Amino acid sequence: MPTILKNVSKEYAQGKKVLDNVSAEIKTGEFFVIVGPSGCGKSTLLRMIAGLTEISDGTIKIEDRVVNDLPPKDRNLTMVFQSYALFPFLSVWDNVAFGLKARQNDAAKIKERVDNALKMVNLEEFSDRKPRELSGGQRQRVALARAVASDAKICLMDEPLSNLDAQLRIKMHQEIYALQRKLGLTLIYVTHDQVEAMTMADHIMVLNDSKIQQVGTPTEIYNHPANEFVASFFGVPPINLMNAKKVSENIALVNKDFEVELAQTIEEENFRIGIRPNQLQVNKADELHANATIKAVEFLGDEKIVHTEMNHGGVISVIVASEAVFDPFESIEITCDDSSKALLFDLDGNNITETQGVAYNA
Amino acid sequence: MKYTKKLILPLVLVLGILAVAIFTSINAVRSQASDKRTEIVFWHEMGGPSEDALEKVVDGFNKSQTKYKVVPKYQGSYDEAIQKILQTHGTSTSPAVFQAFDISAAQMIHSGFTTPVQKFIDQDHYDVSKIAPGARAFYSSNGVQQGMPFNTSQPVLYYNATLLEKYGIEKPPVSPSYSDITRVAQQLYEKSGHKTKGMTVQVYGWLLEQALANSKTSLANNNDGHTGNPTKVDLNNPQTVEFLKWIRENIKSGDFIDYGSGASAGANQTAGFLSDKVGIFIQSSASIGQLTANNTNKLGITYFPHPDGQKANGVAIGGAALWISNDKPKDIQKGAYEFIKYSLKPEVQAQWQKDTGYLALNKDSQKSKILKDLYKKSPESKVPGQQLATAKPNNFNSGILMEGMQLTRQLEEVAMETVYNGGDIGKALDIADKSINENLQTSNRANGYK
Amino acid sequence: MLKTPATSEVASEKKSVSKKKFVFRLNANDKYFSMFFLGPSLLLLGLFVFYPLFKTLYISMFLTDTFGNTTVFTGLQNYVNLISSADFMNSLFVTLIYVLAVTVLTITMGLLLANLASKKLPGIGIFRTLYSMTMGVSVAVAAIFWLFMFNPSTGFFALVSNALKLTPINWLTDPKNAMLAVIITTVWMNLGFTFLILLGSIESVPRSLYEAAEVEGASSSRQFFKITLPMISPTLFFVSTITIIDAFKSFGLIDLITKGGPTNATNMLVYRIYKDAFYSGNYAKSSTEAIILTVIIAFFTLIQFKFLEKKVNY
Repeated sequence: MPTILKNVSKEYAQGKKVLDNVSAEIKTGEFFVIVGPSGCGKSTLLRMIAGLTEISDGTIKIEDRVVNDLPPKDRNLTMVFQSYALFPFLSVWDNVAFGLKARQNDAAKIKERVDNALKMVNLEEFSDRKPRELSGGQRQRVALARAVASDAKICLMDEPLSNLDAQLRIKMHQEIYALQRKLGLTLIYVTHDQVEAMTMADHIMVLNDSKIQQVGTPTEIYNHPANEFVASFFGVPPINLMNAKKVSENIALVNKDFEVELAQTIEEENFRIGIRPNQLQVNKADELHANATIKAVEFLGDEKIVHTEMNHGGVISVIVASEAVFDPFESIEITCDDSSKALLFDLDGNNITETQGVAYNA
Repeated sequence: MKYTKKLILPLVLVLGILAVAIFTSINAVRSQASDKRTEIVFWHEMGGPSEDALEKVVDGFNKSQTKYKVVPKYQGSYDEAIQKILQTHGTSTSPAVFQAFDISAAQMIHSGFTTPVQKFIDQDHYDVSKIAPGARAFYSSNGVQQGMPFNTSQPVLYYNATLLEKYGIEKPPVSPSYSDITRVAQQLYEKSGHKTKGMTVQVYGWLLEQALANSKTSLANNNDGHTGNPTKVDLNNPQTVEFLKWIRENIKSGDFIDYGSGASAGANQTAGFLSDKVGIFIQSSASIGQLTANNTNKLGITYFPHPDGQKANGVAIGGAALWISNDKPKDIQKGAYEFIKYSLKPEVQAQWQKDTGYLALNKDSQKSKILKDLYKKSPESKVPGQQLATAKPNNFNSGILMEGMQLTRQLEEVAMETVYNGGDIGKALDIADKSINENLQTSNRANGYK
Repeated sequence: MLKTPATSEVASEKKSVSKKKFVFRLNANDKYFSMFFLGPSLLLLGLFVFYPLFKTLYISMFLTDTFGNTTVFTGLQNYVNLISSADFMNSLFVTLIYVLAVTVLTITMGLLLANLASKKLPGIGIFRTLYSMTMGVSVAVAAIFWLFMFNPSTGFFALVSNALKLTPINWLTDPKNAMLAVIITTVWMNLGFTFLILLGSIESVPRSLYEAAEVEGASSSRQFFKITLPMISPTLFFVSTITIIDAFKSFGLIDLITKGGPTNATNMLVYRIYKDAFYSGNYAKSSTEAIILTVIIAFFTLIQFKFLEKKVNY
């Protein structure tokens, strides 16, 4: 049974909307990521699904039940908090057993479930420890085990990995993903980290400014962003967005400096073009042909990022092979040899690329 | 640099202490310089309006003097002051003259810390016959005046004359018996429709002792200590029983209200009396001032009640005496005596009675205009003085010269409370007797008395 | 004293290892130097703690005369007398009752109010201020206020029972009620401080713990007992220790409200010590009582630390 959000809104003070008219369908058993910059309302949305925050408007349906007025405990879900919310005075085992005991399961069942959950997160040996005797990653696992031990099929996670270091985070991504798949959980996962969203999600909801920007698979979101915000939110380094002018039907003058032949015809006189750093080329050029100057070069191992400043203003990043030799202050010419993946936006930021058909447009 | 920093704090502290020391000694020098008179430190326990009246007496003395200057210092309650006096004796903080209350007389005499006033009376050829003999007897042993009575009160019975008139109740005689009071109390309670309780007797050992004095009974052997140090106490005697039975009778018929013990009980019963919640209570004559000033009703006063079928023997005085410490130079002791002499002058005592309700001890005070005016204005304020004058001093009504009276009172009060709360009278008194005698024996042993 | 066998073993092991070095380091110079630092505190402690304590112990083995001088050596007779005196045992008994009642009531009521006030309800700020207000009230003011309330003819309770045509309660003159009155007054006095401390403690419990519990299906009473209580247990321990010691030492209210009466129903140990020494001048007796009280308080504190402290630290 899916979880359905319909026209959900949240208003704390009169007229100050934290969430505006959010609708989405979360399928059973899928890994659903809600992503957005801080302050976009993503945690509020999750807390509304959990029942910890009241809903101002709209309905939330879980497994065909409207749960607007149900207390959290009756929504049959579990939640992992950013702070893990472990009880410091309880052992790992008792922490995991807390919910089961609260729901008055019999002792044998509790033992079985807790032991299983701890095994699943590899914490069997730590069951007698107190949370303060564990490392950050281990605490995170206890929180996971608590969610796993519950028989709820929907699990909410609120930035669960933000307190971990980068390496551990990558490891935990995989573990969470494996757990979700293994148990068939419906996982609703809130993060501000686009990498987390891209690597784990079946579907991503992008929130900004209290509104849904787009809902889609990672591929759709990356390749067919609904608007400039979504395009620039995903991808490292971010997509290059430049002003463009129509020269002829399918030729655009970008940033007054270079011409791009587009894969489609355009109607707008003025529009904006988005090209990802790996779709641009850089060549050394003399003063006459150069349209940009190198500001800095970042070495990433397999490749390099060249940060440039256009002669007519604007900053552009380009990814080049790591063997290429570029130095700061060199004059260069930036070109776009294959513009098939370039994205076009009108001046309001909406995607007007012709191939965008599949994208969700809010 | 580091070293100097470390030194700064101790240095500042030391300098501070020095500064304080210098400043205070300069101050002391200055105050002495401006007033060359010899200072007589006077410890007293008069609080509230009585303190103001006492300061009037001190000011009067200081204005009349070129040689001595009395510095009054308030020491808290009577009870607490005794220990302070005994514990500071022989130190520079001890007073030259102090006020110590009635039941501490034996302790003061035994302490050997005081110079008997008799010594100065003899030197000065002072005529003490003008001073009330009942009061003098209280603070003398073997014919020697030890301390000089100063603030002297009599326990009297107050009643609400206005309420009695209103309900047409015949007022009690000047020297009422227990049953006279029971009659008035019960009538008042019934006729007021139970709105006004008839009477109360505060849980106060002093009142119990006065009931014994008034019925010609001693509490301690050796004539209440007047003919030797007491070795045994007999509280469970027929007269105590009769007194408590009288109270019990009124408790049973519902006209009695119990305000308990202690200072708050005193305040509560006064408040109750002034607001028509209770019609009769027994209290020191020193309360007259307060009871007339704040009273919209007419105040009635009688003598302390006595048992039926016998005449009142008279009650002992309450209050306190002035004593002269013997740890000060002769000159200062002389100054202390001068102050005592001044405080007993007819006009000083008259003003003192008017201000406080304590009785003027000098017979000549009665002739003064101050008291004549007072009696004209409120004739009932004559009653306590009359009671004192009527009673012939004997060993029963001259107080109890026994150490440990404070503890004895506490134990008497426990017995009273037990009875007020329905306990057996004989049993309660037996328990009190046992504890008082144990304490008395221990105290005699500790002090080496035979 | 409170070490478990295991930790003391570890400690002694450590000691033996470092012994050599330690002796080597503490030469004669260092000894003088250490006395330089220890001296002042030893002097102050000796002067103001140990000397009075031993003096009290000494006096308790004598009889004292009117001036407090020790005259007749009696050994432990004073202790025997006290322990066999029904009067003293009554004081001991009422003290224990009082301490127990005051502690239990203060903690439970403080907890109840603090728990209520920690909820986000409209107007809760007013209640918080009201509840914590007794903290700013001095003992004397509180005593006078309650004396007015308890006044048998003009007091609040008397007026209410008159208005309702009930038999008025003799608050301060009936031995049973007097104890209740003193307990009520003390709890009222204690409540402000206890409330504030407990409220602070409750507020500092992370919200997410409650939210997690709510999602996991814990009822609000379960949340209180399974989260709030254990989370604030160190504070509870602190508050209860303070309250117990304070109750044992309670003096001002007793002195102002009942003076130990009626019929010694509220004659707590400390008040008794005061009366025996400063009213009756019986220093031997009151010293003996002081020593007994010291032993009792030490005993209670020991028990608290031994049994409770382990349980409250997480």
